[in-house]
Amino acid sequence: MENFINIFVQSVFINNMIFAYFLGMCSFLAVSRKVSTAMGLGIAVIFVLMITVPVNYLINKYLLQEGALSWFGDEYRDIDLGFLSFIVFIAVIAWIVQVLEMIVEKFTPALYNQLGIFLPLIAVNCAVMGASLFMQEREYSSVAEASSFGLGSGTGWMLAIVGIAAIREKMSYSKVPPALKGLGITFIVTGLMAIAFMSFSGIEIKID
Amino acid sequence: MNRDSNIYTLVYSAIMVIVVAALLAVASGALKAPQERNREIEKKMNILTSVGKAAGASIADDKNAYIENEYSKYIVESFLININGEKTEGDAFNTDLKAELKKPETERLLPVFVCSDNGSKQYIFPVRGAGLWGAIWGYISLKDDFNTVYGAVFDHAGETPGLGAEIADVSFQKKFADKKIYLDGKFMSVDVVKNGSVQLDDYKVDGITGGTLTSKAVGKMLFDCLSNYTKFFDVQKQNR
Amino acid sequence: MSEKEPLFSAKNLKLFTDPFNAGNPITVLVLGICSALAVTVKLQPAIVMGLSVTVVTGFSSFIISLLRNTIPNRIRIIVQLVVVAALVILVDQLLKAYVYEVSKQLSVFVGLIITNCIIMGRIEAFALGNKPFPSLIDGFGNGAGYGMILVIVAFFRELLGSGSLFGIRIVPESFYVSAGGFYENNGMMVLPPAALILLGVIIWVHRSVNNKLLEK
Repeated sequence: MENFINIFVQSVFINNMIFAYFLGMCSFLAVSRKVSTAMGLGIAVIFVLMITVPVNYLINKYLLQEGALSWFGDEYRDIDLGFLSFIVFIAVIAWIVQVLEMIVEKFTPALYNQLGIFLPLIAVNCAVMGASLFMQEREYSSVAEASSFGLGSGTGWMLAIVGIAAIREKMSYSKVPPALKGLGITFIVTGLMAIAFMSFSGIEIKID
Repeated sequence: MNRDSNIYTLVYSAIMVIVVAALLAVASGALKAPQERNREIEKKMNILTSVGKAAGASIADDKNAYIENEYSKYIVESFLININGEKTEGDAFNTDLKAELKKPETERLLPVFVCSDNGSKQYIFPVRGAGLWGAIWGYISLKDDFNTVYGAVFDHAGETPGLGAEIADVSFQKKFADKKIYLDGKFMSVDVVKNGSVQLDDYKVDGITGGTLTSKAVGKMLFDCLSNYTKFFDVQKQNR
Repeated sequence: MSEKEPLFSAKNLKLFTDPFNAGNPITVLVLGICSALAVTVKLQPAIVMGLSVTVVTGFSSFIISLLRNTIPNRIRIIVQLVVVAALVILVDQLLKAYVYEVSKQLSVFVGLIITNCIIMGRIEAFALGNKPFPSLIDGFGNGAGYGMILVIVAFFRELLGSGSLFGIRIVPESFYVSAGGFYENNGMMVLPPAALILLGVIIWVHRSVNNKLLEK
């Protein structure tokens, strides 16, 4: 349990998708003008990450890794399909996003009205693909760990985008040098937020 | 042709999948040999670095040949040992430490590399453990008193850049030299402690500021992995 | 290639040079920042990353442009993703085989080229409606414009953060406090936030020079 909480906390605060790895910057910059839309996109990202990371974890473990096919029979032990992982991951993500969109539209039209426009954007969000690649690189030992990483990364991403949206809403009233307006100041503020987030580094939660 | 018909879409995607899969399979097959060679060279390089050799690798004209040459010159012996410290048959270089560490203690066969330079001998032990984010691994070498650390080299899969990732930096690795792993006959290993928190002595190394969790993981990795070799150390000390 | 204009006509040349200034994918179009900045601590990986992106952008635009009249509408995005992903895998395999050290530093960020918005952006905006050769040029230009920003950021981060360029020491050893001098590397520069702030400053400079780009 301690382990899951630690993975979650660390991926929210320390190895934040935006502040430490700059993943998902495109939508981060494009959809951060208003807090409400930022919130919508953030929730959609959490949703998608919670599903895609564990699914890709299982695919990686039982299909792609070196020796992953050994449950098929001993003669398949040496097959290493690792080189296909990029293409498989992105296909799985695109597919899950598509299915999710259809399910949400069918069963909860109210939610679809809020999230619907964001879902197609997410298939090409680097944070989503990045989470799957990090999951693969870090060799998590169970689906539960991978899920808690997915949930944490998503939450961290949402925290970042909601934060910057709030600052940008306020900032529209401030006098920014014309050449810095918009994109430039957003980058600098994001950098300052990243510095603030660095103070979390090293936290570890202990449960006795 | 109707680009919206189901049949066209299906046939198109089928052809695409086949072409792409074939292309990638061919490419990955053709490039497998140089990729594995790179890994082999890297491993040899790490082993050599842990005993302070191969320092000229970055300026060598032909790096691969240089490493091979140094490796055959200095690494005179390599063998596997079991938990009782007895030598066993096997290919030490190609032993997968990760797989061995997953086995129960009594079944593990762990590699040892021996470096010899002008009569002085160092023993090199591979180590591997879990860092903050992914695997961390490395090699630590002991002088032939099996107590004093000669050198160490570490690498990592994905520690935080600028913080935990600094374990791969020479300045951190240098701190291990001349540390001891035994105190009055008791196995201590070398611990990595938080910067400035305790008095440093022969058994402690100063950790990385901001990379406390990774630093601690290095200490744990050293303890866990070197513990497997304690019987081997005892046997060797008696034989001296 | 049956068009009458020469291969390197002024129009094609402009496709290539535009991304370096008024049409820069990062500072003006705000595309593809993901996966870009984490590799800018040192110059060498930044250059390799820039080249990889250029190759992938160029060839994916070229291939999609060749196929543009055959792609079924319903699976257009999937086809594009597959082409891009296949190219990225090829690049990744080549890097692992021939520049292993750098490929280790780039780690997952090579894979992230797939979701780099520049590539899909150029395919959707240009390659789908243009002939293969201009698409290739457009892709190369945008990739290179993107790489240029990476290199600028990496230049400052490596120089100020590690006192070296391409791993070669620039600031003399004797300047450092540890050797009795007065100089200390700026540790901030190797940390992620520095990349964001530097990029902000680059945009600032770029827009001050080129007034047309100011945001209202």
